[in-house]
Amino acid sequence: MCEWCEKYGGGYERWYFNPANYARRLYKIRKEEAESLGAEANPQEAGGMAVVGREFLEAKDRGDVATVERIKQEVEAASLVTHFGQVLTHEEALRIVDIMYPIGLMTCACRRSMQGLPDEENFTCMGMGVGMYKWERWPDTYRGGVHYLTPDEAKEVLAKMNKRGLVHSVFTFGTPYLGGLCNCDYPDCAAIRTVVDLGIKVLWKGHYVARIDPELCNGCASCVHRCQFRALSFIPSRDKAYVDQFQCFGCGLCATECDGGAITMVERASLPALANVW
Amino acid sequence: MPTIAVDDEKCPDPLSCRKCLLICPTHVLGLGTDVGVRKYCETAPDHFVVRGVRFDMCTGCMDCVEVCPRNAIQVSFNEGGAR
Repeated sequence: MCEWCEKYGGGYERWYFNPANYARRLYKIRKEEAESLGAEANPQEAGGMAVVGREFLEAKDRGDVATVERIKQEVEAASLVTHFGQVLTHEEALRIVDIMYPIGLMTCACRRSMQGLPDEENFTCMGMGVGMYKWERWPDTYRGGVHYLTPDEAKEVLAKMNKRGLVHSVFTFGTPYLGGLCNCDYPDCAAIRTVVDLGIKVLWKGHYVARIDPELCNGCASCVHRCQFRALSFIPSRDKAYVDQFQCFGCGLCATECDGGAITMVERASLPALANVW
Repeated sequence: MPTIAVDDEKCPDPLSCRKCLLICPTHVLGLGTDVGVRKYCETAPDHFVVRGVRFDMCTGCMDCVEVCPRNAIQVSFNEGGAR
C-alpha cells in the first residue's frame, strides 16, 4: 500500500485524486513551514537545482557509507515534509487536470538551471492551485510568467508532453498539498536524476508497473528510448524489449509508444514483490 | 572528483551564453544565483553563476574549459586521475 494514499487518500482511489489535497487551507500551512527553513533551503540558489551537494558526492566516491546514509536520510525526511513527487501515468495526469484549479503553465526551473533553456522553449511545468496567483510577487520563480489553461487546453498540453517523452509526476509543496504537475526527463530534472543516480527518494514510483507481452512485442525497440529511469533494455538474442520491473517507475511512456499494444501497465499492488517497492 | 572553478567576474551572463552547459557530454554544470530568490525582483543576468553540480559525472574532457569565450572555467583533478 502506498503510504500517501493511506494517509491522505480520504476515501479516494489515490491520494492525488483527493480534491482536499489541492485545497488552499493546506497551502497556507505549507508557507509557514517553508519559511521556517530559511532562505538557504531554497534550491534555486544552488547550481542546477541540486538536492544534495558535493559533500554527498564525495562521501559516495570514497565509500563512506555512514555519511551517505546520514545525508540520504536527512534529505529524504525533509523532502517528504516539504517537496517530493510521485510518478503518474498519462491517464492519471489527465484526470488530475479536472480536479485542480487554476492550472498554470509555467517554465521549468530544472531545465533553466541545467540547460539555460530560454523561457519560450521551457513551458513544460504545470503549476496548480492558489500558488499560481503569486507569479507577480515572485517573478524569478515564475520566470517567463504563467499561462492559465482550461482543463481541455491542459489535456492537449499533456498529450504533447507525453508525445515528446516527458514523464508526468505530481509534486507536493508542503505535504500533502499538491502544487505541481511536472513533465520531466533525465538527467536535467533534479528529482529524476537524484533518485536514479543517487538513490535518494525525492521522487516515488507510481502505482503501475510496465509489463511486456513477448508474443506481441515485434522487437522494434521504439519503446526503449522512452524510458527515463534505466528500466528498459533490449534482448538481441530474443529480439524483444525487456523491462526491469523492480526499476520501473510506472510512467507508461513505453506503453503509449508501443504500436502493437505489447506493453500494459499493471497495478503495482497486484504483484506481491513489487507492492511495496516505491 | 574534479575541482571546477568558475571566475564569475569573467562570466557576466551565463543564462544567455550557456555554451558550457550545452557542450558538457555528461551534464555536469548547472546555473545557480548568488542572490537567491527575492520578492518583486527578477534575478539580473549578472547574478546567475555557473557551478559544478554532477561532479561525479565529470570525465575531465575539458570541453567546457575550451568552449568558454572568456576563459572563465578551470577544471582540475587531484593525483592526475578521475575518481
